[in-house]
Amino acid sequence: MISTKNLRFSYSKDQEFIFPDLYCEAGSTLLITGDSGKGKTTYLHLLAGLLQPTLGEIIIDKTDLVSLSEKKTDRYRGKNIGVVFQKSYFIAALTVLENLQIASWLATGKKHTKRAKRLLEQLGIENQASKLPSQLSIGQQQRVSIARALMNEPKVLLADEPTSSLDDKNAEKVIDLLTSLSKEYKAALLIVTHDSRIKEKFINKITLV
Amino acid sequence: MIAKLAWKNIWFKPLNTILSVILLTSSVAIITTLILVEKQFEEKFSSNIEDVDLVLGAQGSPLQLILSSVYQVDAPTGNINFDSAKLWMNNPYVEKAIPLAFGDNYRGYKILGTTHDYLTKFKAKVSDGRLYEKNFEVVFGSEIAQKLNISVGDEFFGSHGDAEEGEVHENYAYKVVGIATHTGKVVDNLILCTIPTVWQMHVGHEENPAHGEEGHVHEEGEHEHEEADLTLEEPNMEITAVLLKVRNQMAKLTWQRLIPQNTKMQAVSPAFEVNRLFGLFGIGVTALQYLAYGIMLISGISIFIALFNSLKERKSEFALLRVNGAGRFQLLKVVMIESLLLCVVGFVFGTILGRVALSFLSNSSEADFKMSFNPYEFLWKKEGTLFLLTLFVGFIAALIPAIKAYNLNISKTLANA
Repeated sequence: MISTKNLRFSYSKDQEFIFPDLYCEAGSTLLITGDSGKGKTTYLHLLAGLLQPTLGEIIIDKTDLVSLSEKKTDRYRGKNIGVVFQKSYFIAALTVLENLQIASWLATGKKHTKRAKRLLEQLGIENQASKLPSQLSIGQQQRVSIARALMNEPKVLLADEPTSSLDDKNAEKVIDLLTSLSKEYKAALLIVTHDSRIKEKFINKITLV
Repeated sequence: MIAKLAWKNIWFKPLNTILSVILLTSSVAIITTLILVEKQFEEKFSSNIEDVDLVLGAQGSPLQLILSSVYQVDAPTGNINFDSAKLWMNNPYVEKAIPLAFGDNYRGYKILGTTHDYLTKFKAKVSDGRLYEKNFEVVFGSEIAQKLNISVGDEFFGSHGDAEEGEVHENYAYKVVGIATHTGKVVDNLILCTIPTVWQMHVGHEENPAHGEEGHVHEEGEHEHEEADLTLEEPNMEITAVLLKVRNQMAKLTWQRLIPQNTKMQAVSPAFEVNRLFGLFGIGVTALQYLAYGIMLISGISIFIALFNSLKERKSEFALLRVNGAGRFQLLKVVMIESLLLCVVGFVFGTILGRVALSFLSNSSEADFKMSFNPYEFLWKKEGTLFLLTLFVGFIAALIPAIKAYNLNISKTLANA
């Protein structure tokens, strides 16, 4: 589970973001919406520990992410936070399977090949395991991203506009996979989006203004 | 896993990689070849002048005298009168004197008239058969015996002078009585006989100019009359040179001035001439070395540009690694290892290529100068230094890209993409 308290962040002196507090249980989903420029991506980067807030707390499973050193944040993020981005990023030189393996190796020092193969199977792309990411379609790439985010069985799964570059069919599929897998892996799922196709699917919502 | 990632990365963009590796390989190959050639060349030259303080020979180029009489690679400066040479050979300051008389050749290999001391000087023994005693008995150097497939008891005719195509002396046949042990020095490529053998083969030549000089002619029928065997005591004969070992260092210095002033001969210090030769040779080696280090510098720049350019494209990859739990230092390591791997690959290829080049070089120098190089020798100290230097180039080339990867702002990279 994840919760925040009194979170503030500023890129410069004249502009300060004040983020509403949030709370999300393991296995449930929270949607964060808002118009562009309201700090959706910034909020997600704060939650992922990629940015350091000027004030406030981010509690993930009783640990305050804000109080950790940079090095510890890197380790903590690798182990406990999975992130799916709007665009799929991969290590271009590694195969799909190796991309998953390096994610778990960086966090835990183990490759967890079995888990990687099972995830690919659950996402229906097990036959793409030895291909390079660039050889996959965008929908398949996004599914590999989900698999990678879940590789270390994280406590929190963050998704930044996961559907914006997908068609209706793939978008629905990705949302279904995200919600069902986060339930199965008992991760709190936070989706940042302005995609109207998925807004009505969720009850728990925070809108940034 | 970091090393594997680095390895996969460098071969993902093979064109950049291959350019850097080719540059590194060529510079390492040139330097390796130079190191080996210089060392083995000096070794060969120095080992042959052991126990030779002075060379007594006809006046002319001192270097030519040394090259012809010690290394057997050049034509001799001319002949000297054996009787006047004897005056110096019997001087009390002389510890050992080895007279040399250049004779004919057999299939391009020199037949050299000398005393048994010549073999002793090279610490060569007779491994098969016995030493030559009578005229026209010969002992073969180990290498040519093997190459020409010669064994004790064989007989052959020599060709005149030092050209393989020279006129064949058919009036006397040489008889092989022994094969010398292997020494790794010039004696391995020589055929040795007594000095009177050389004289007797050319009886009636005294009126002619010396061998190898213009105007040396063979008169018809000159070999037809048989004569008694000549000995070393024969007066008024000519030899080519004398290798001297002196007891007194002063004699070594003063004779170099004294002999040419008072006789038609000269006395030359082989050590001095060889150093002069290395000096000339060294300019070429130094120039090649600068060239090789220049190429290495360029390969360093090439690695730097390749890493720096790919850094722009790979920013998001690095950000992703950070998201997955990699620390800043691990990114620095990936970039560093990529560069160092390139350098190791370049060094390995360069070391191999250098040795391939050396074995080609060895084949041609073997044909031209009877001098071969060993491409399998490893000079750990010098080549180790070269390895460290190569790694250092890789380290410097990767420094700025690695620091940039270390300082990457992940949030900004991911938000702007």
